[in-house]
Amino acid sequence: MFDLPIEGAQLMALEFGDIVDYFSVYTGTLFVFALLFTVLAIVSLPEKPMDIVFGGDAYYTKDIPLDLLRFQRFMAIACGLATLGAMASGDIFNFTLFSSMIGITNIGIVAAVRNRHVLEAAFQYGIVAMVATVPLFGGAAIVLASTGTLSIWALAGAAAVPLLAKIFLVLGVMGEGMAPFYIGKAEITRAPGAPYVLMIHVSSLLLFLRVVEIVLTV
Amino acid sequence: MIEYLIFAVFAGLLLHGIHRKAIARIQGRPGPPVWQEILHVLKFSFKETWIPWTASRTLFVAVVFIAIGIWSAALVVLLTGESLLLLFGIYMLHKIVEHGLGLSSGSPYGKFGAIRSVMSAASEIPLFATIAAVYLVTHSLMISDILAWQTANGPLLIAVPPAAAALYIVVLAKMHYSPFAVIESKEIVSGNMTEHFGVWRAGLDVAFGLKTFVLLYAFILLFIGPIPLLAAAVAMLILLLSLSFICATTPMLSPFDTVTIQIGAAGLIVVYILIMGAIL
Repeated sequence: MFDLPIEGAQLMALEFGDIVDYFSVYTGTLFVFALLFTVLAIVSLPEKPMDIVFGGDAYYTKDIPLDLLRFQRFMAIACGLATLGAMASGDIFNFTLFSSMIGITNIGIVAAVRNRHVLEAAFQYGIVAMVATVPLFGGAAIVLASTGTLSIWALAGAAAVPLLAKIFLVLGVMGEGMAPFYIGKAEITRAPGAPYVLMIHVSSLLLFLRVVEIVLTV
Repeated sequence: MIEYLIFAVFAGLLLHGIHRKAIARIQGRPGPPVWQEILHVLKFSFKETWIPWTASRTLFVAVVFIAIGIWSAALVVLLTGESLLLLFGIYMLHKIVEHGLGLSSGSPYGKFGAIRSVMSAASEIPLFATIAAVYLVTHSLMISDILAWQTANGPLLIAVPPAAAALYIVVLAKMHYSPFAVIESKEIVSGNMTEHFGVWRAGLDVAFGLKTFVLLYAFILLFIGPIPLLAAAVAMLILLLSLSFICATTPMLSPFDTVTIQIGAAGLIVVYILIMGAIL
């Protein structure tokens, strides 16, 4: 598979029948980055957001309640694990599953924040993410129907996957948090809890980088 | 490799200094000496430093090291002729660094910068268009293969000029004082970098110096091809001065206009790629 001049040399491969989970220089780098930010979400305490009262000199800091902190951290770790799965997966269906899990956990990270703007943005983003699962899983279904396998390893370089399936996969991932749908996320990131909120951004960027590799490879 | 890294850091900082000087001269000001950015890094390195009380301490420090790490990795990718996709990945990971810088401090100005950083993620799309166009023409994403293709067929700048224009926009978006640099706009103090001072700022300056060097060198390698080091340095300087001219004469755009222009440019490139794909 790694004869393809796309993602650098193969680092390792783990076979489960026709499904082969693998790391190349590219996916290995993405995996390490996802791991790094997951560890940061585990070990970092959140910031104390400071608000300025405009028109005066007053300012105040907010402490994040412990129950919110715990829930955000749990969801950020879940998001990190889903991202790690999406980076390591050698199977298109598993990749789509991890992608939708990232979409769900992204909403979860800010779901308990008591801020109307954040919750509204999370709700709108949730609708987009839900709708995006249709092309996402549709893309995987078309791959299986047209080639008889979902293994990226088996499909690599064969040019057997229809263009429509690739477009669906990219559209699905875009709906899970990339441009132009990420605009909803700009409001989401107003939420406190920097190490956890950052996972929202990390996961969707890494997901997009992985899907680019998949559509170029299969 | 360490000697290349040190060279790239100082060359990048010098390029920043030349950038500031060129902007000042175009605007009729004397401007700072060209080595000012190097002096800044040395000065910041020995200034008293602490972490703000409101910050997420681990993240606040970690992002500085991550910034240096990813751009060092980008330089290694370039020098070893690894995958262009990896370079694209590192460029996108820089967005996370920008975001993390702003969010970790607890400062409202940092947070504004971070939110603008999310919005300006559109700046990555022209880069993706560039990669697609290069792949269509050279049938490879390995930088070593792309260089070999140019040795045999001539510069990609002539073969796919719109792809070069897209990468030019990408490089412009990451320059200081760029019309697209909304995340560090002065109405939000220094944006996402507001609370990083002292050693942290020195570390960030080192990372950003590396970034400028890598992006300019990548442009030369990808669109002009393998040329001698001195010629590459001259080409990088000319490229930088053209960017400085745009930065000096164009006001800072609003975040909305930034996104519109970048997505518009990417859309044009996508149409070009579709037509080129149909022809090829």
